[in-house]
Amino acid sequence: MKLDAMAVTLPEVAGHPNRAPFTGVLTLVDEPSTKPPSGARGHRVILTGGAARAALPSLLGMAVDYVPSWDGHDSRRKCGIITHADVDGSQLRVAGYLFAKDFPEVERQMRECLPGAMGMSWELADAHVEDMRAEIWTLTRATFTGAAILLREKAAYRNTSFELAARSCRSITARSALRERVHAGTTRRFSRRAGQCQPDGTTGKEETWKHKQAKAWSR
Amino acid sequence: MEAQTGESMVALTESMERMEARLEAATALFERAAALIEQQESDRTGEVRKIVAAVETGREAELQKRLDAAEQTIAELRAQMEAQAEGPKPGRKTVPATTAQFLAKQGIASLDSLEAGTLDAALNGLSLEQRIAVKAQLLRAGVVG
Repeated sequence: MKLDAMAVTLPEVAGHPNRAPFTGVLTLVDEPSTKPPSGARGHRVILTGGAARAALPSLLGMAVDYVPSWDGHDSRRKCGIITHADVDGSQLRVAGYLFAKDFPEVERQMRECLPGAMGMSWELADAHVEDMRAEIWTLTRATFTGAAILLREKAAYRNTSFELAARSCRSITARSALRERVHAGTTRRFSRRAGQCQPDGTTGKEETWKHKQAKAWSR
Repeated sequence: MEAQTGESMVALTESMERMEARLEAATALFERAAALIEQQESDRTGEVRKIVAAVETGREAELQKRLDAAEQTIAELRAQMEAQAEGPKPGRKTVPATTAQFLAKQGIASLDSLEAGTLDAALNGLSLEQRIAVKAQLLRAGVVG
């Protein structure tokens, strides 16, 4: 299993009132969507792993938005930011912050909804479809322009997820950034095999992810 | 004088209403054509401007429904315009039965060649409002220009 990841390193601010860290599975790669996405003219789509990896830089710094009915996108209701993205196997996973103080209703929904009820959805621009006549469109190139938090059943990919982290997020990246003297605002790209240990002996982000996912699904 | 002003106002209003309807229909056709051109271009190049990985919401379905209704209206209007262009001459268009009966009583049996003087004489016994109403009906039917 190969892991490709990118992150924008932000300085960690303890107890920041407007940052609620989140993690989520934005989409699956190399797998057809469960339902046709909006704008795909009724076709289900496959986002190729290559296209997803190539588009990772465009995802960083993009906003997450929501609609009060939790069933779609509203690009003018941006309630958070994506600071980390990686493709791990068939999952494109993201992490970032919700603007919890500005959007208390979003944080409330995340805390009160049933576990596993919320999912994510991407928004792509300038996507290239390999064969427009194919029953399932294969997207070979795209640019991420944003993402939305929504009910999982309203997402074109059913196996997406979204959850607020229990504690300060990005700690691993932040530690790594400090260790490598990477300044805030820089973008880092790293690639390693899943399960590989960090130099300091920890099992790394992969383990954290798996633990969180397992906990969420067990609930 | 007063009657003439009223008539011309009615005629002007109706003419503007017709023009507005035609402009609306033309605008809708242009928008539809632009969308089709965009889709054809997209089909040719394989480029899609925007895709969102959320299923179609109720609002989008509602918009689609409204678009279908608008397209249906456009098709009807086009058919109507084509029928008008190729159809019978204005003089043979139908007018409401009551108006036709009234005109017949006044000695106007055929609307094929109706002169302004004859019509004014026939409507002489009516009030201003009634004359305007009858002339508006004839205008709508294309009997008078």
